[in-house]
Amino acid sequence: MAASSPPLPSYFLSRRKSLSSFTSFKHCSISLHDEKRCRFRCHIKSFENQPPNWSVDVLSGTEPVHLNSPSPMTMASASASDSSVKTVKRVCLFYCDETKALAERIAAESDAIELRNINWRTFEDGFPNLFIPNAQGIRGQNVAFLASFSSPSVIFEQLSVIYALPKLFISSFTLVLPFFPTGTSERMEDEGDVATAFTLARILSNIPTSRGGPTSLVTFDIHALQERFYFGDNILPCFESGIPLLMNRLQQLPDSDKISIAFPDDGAWKRFHKQLQHFPTIVCNKVRIGDKRIVRIKEGEAAGRHVVIVDDLVQSGGTLIECQKALAADGAAKISAYVTHGIFPNRSWQRFEHDNGGRPENGLTYFWITDSCPGTVKEVMSKAPFEILSLAGSIASALQI
Amino acid sequence: MENNNDMGELKSTNKKQVLLFYCVECEELARKVAAHSQLITLQSINWRSFDDGFPNLYINNAHDIRGQHVAFLASFSSPAVIFEQLSVIYSLPRLFVASFTLVLPFFPTGSFERMEEEGDVATAFTMARILSNIPISRGGPTSVVIYDIHALQERFYFGDHVLPLFETGIPLLKQRLHQLPDADKIVVAFPDDGAWKRFHKLLDHFPTVICTKVREGDKRIVRLKEGNPADCHVVIVDDLVQSGGTLIECQKVLLAHGAAKVSAYVTHGVFPKRSWERFTRKNDGSEKGFAYFWITDSCPHTVKAIENTAPFEVLSLAGSIADALQI
Repeated sequence: MAASSPPLPSYFLSRRKSLSSFTSFKHCSISLHDEKRCRFRCHIKSFENQPPNWSVDVLSGTEPVHLNSPSPMTMASASASDSSVKTVKRVCLFYCDETKALAERIAAESDAIELRNINWRTFEDGFPNLFIPNAQGIRGQNVAFLASFSSPSVIFEQLSVIYALPKLFISSFTLVLPFFPTGTSERMEDEGDVATAFTLARILSNIPTSRGGPTSLVTFDIHALQERFYFGDNILPCFESGIPLLMNRLQQLPDSDKISIAFPDDGAWKRFHKQLQHFPTIVCNKVRIGDKRIVRIKEGEAAGRHVVIVDDLVQSGGTLIECQKALAADGAAKISAYVTHGIFPNRSWQRFEHDNGGRPENGLTYFWITDSCPGTVKEVMSKAPFEILSLAGSIASALQI
Repeated sequence: MENNNDMGELKSTNKKQVLLFYCVECEELARKVAAHSQLITLQSINWRSFDDGFPNLYINNAHDIRGQHVAFLASFSSPAVIFEQLSVIYSLPRLFVASFTLVLPFFPTGSFERMEEEGDVATAFTMARILSNIPISRGGPTSVVIYDIHALQERFYFGDHVLPLFETGIPLLKQRLHQLPDADKIVVAFPDDGAWKRFHKLLDHFPTVICTKVREGDKRIVRLKEGNPADCHVVIVDDLVQSGGTLIECQKVLLAHGAAKVSAYVTHGVFPKRSWERFTRKNDGSEKGFAYFWITDSCPHTVKAIENTAPFEVLSLAGSIADALQI
């Protein structure tokens, strides 16, 4: 067990750095406090000539933040065995206020990632007064910024930083925007509809190029598959997914052999079925009956299964709840849900109750979300049925691309 | 000037029909602009938002604007309202309009910032970049109309796909000054060299006074540099006012040098956090207060707040904007 002194992330980082100078050690335990909200132990299984292999256990059963070993990194470095440690890119990671917790988790994933801060202040008139300390120190470095556009009012200040960083003689720039907002409710049906998703893509496509060429944009489970085409040529979008985190988590469950995946509509099926093909699937759809639209099961069977509803995001939760009812009526033994982005405007997460056993029509066994929406994470962290699956590992790997 | 019909041909009279869209905070100014000219017709947009706070926008009669000259009256009074207006600004040019003009009377940011160090982040440049990326329409690059931009160099921040048109509110001030009974006793004062650089050419037929800030120990004090305000009605002229501190110090110095009355003109009454209250009659001990405080209607929130409150008077940009739309 680690000592009781609460190590801050920077403390943790400095310990990690000294450990990396060891050429061989087999087993190491480090305890990390994340703002006193969660505590987990990090095992480093082996460091010599092999990609770092981590597993994370949740110690205190309160608010689990699951960090999983990033599989893409393992695969990539498997082919470059003993030079894997050398090819790791050092990255300076900037972040905004709302993404600080996630940034700290990302930096904890890898020695190569170092947190940097920005002075975020405002002038009296409400406009941002921003300063990047030690700006000269990032020259020649790979730089990344972890953004979160949780509401329109925070876009401009982050954009100012995003437009400024590439021009500071850095060697490359990556924008990590886990959740790409807008476009979730809109349809261009009429010529008068204004596509705000396109506006945002346009704004991001105009990030200045740095010495490393076009900016890379890392985003998870973008809502509409077509949105990938909204980006201009001066930006390289990298479309990641949170599904591997879900698969990891499902494999840990005692009833993992009884799991079926349910998609609430065809859109979700299109987005995700390829990544989840080794699970039996159920597809729902909305059928119009008179005025109402009702969720029905289109394909697959729920009877006796632990059904996990999978979608990219949740807003009011209405769709998920109707889906849950249809599955319960079809005999599901347990129902859980996974969405990459827990938007939950107006605290709509409160609609979701915990099913302790036997009442799947009233509650969910688990509701997994990632930490792409930091505001929600703060609110649901310790509340069953919610569990947070962290994107930190996946982002840390993506920063190596 | 007569239109010689025998010449047959279309000597262009430069009269364009313009469809004017506007943001919510600019509705009043938009109405005034439309009232100035029969050529300008107001159009509407549905400004709603989704539950997650992001905009849900709809441009009414989008088909009818095809082939028309279209303009949008914007106001970026705070970062929160930028994104929704930007979505409209980026959409309108692509609706097969004949031309697109963005009227942004007050270009915010950049009023405090100095790029002194490599870490300073220039938000004015960010704003200019965002505006420079407005899509072009059939009429070519978008025209962007801005009044009394704070830093003269900011005009160079804009890329080639927009045509910035830099206007000024000073003509409105001159017109107003000529109406005053003591018009012959007016002296224009500039609170610093920056203001002088911006405005002296437009006001060169008035006697001028220039102030400057001098460092004394820790403090910076406003001093008179040139000119003589004695017995005159001095009008302090600047592009904008924030807390009002500079204007108040300037006024003290002018009164100390014998000015009979002191007034002020700024194009943009930014007045964050209601700082205009320092200038109202009851707060300043009326005798020593400002005789007039003129602002334009570039900052709609301030205009609403100070309506009918002495010593404030609003000089409307409506006529000037209506003319600019004919360019």
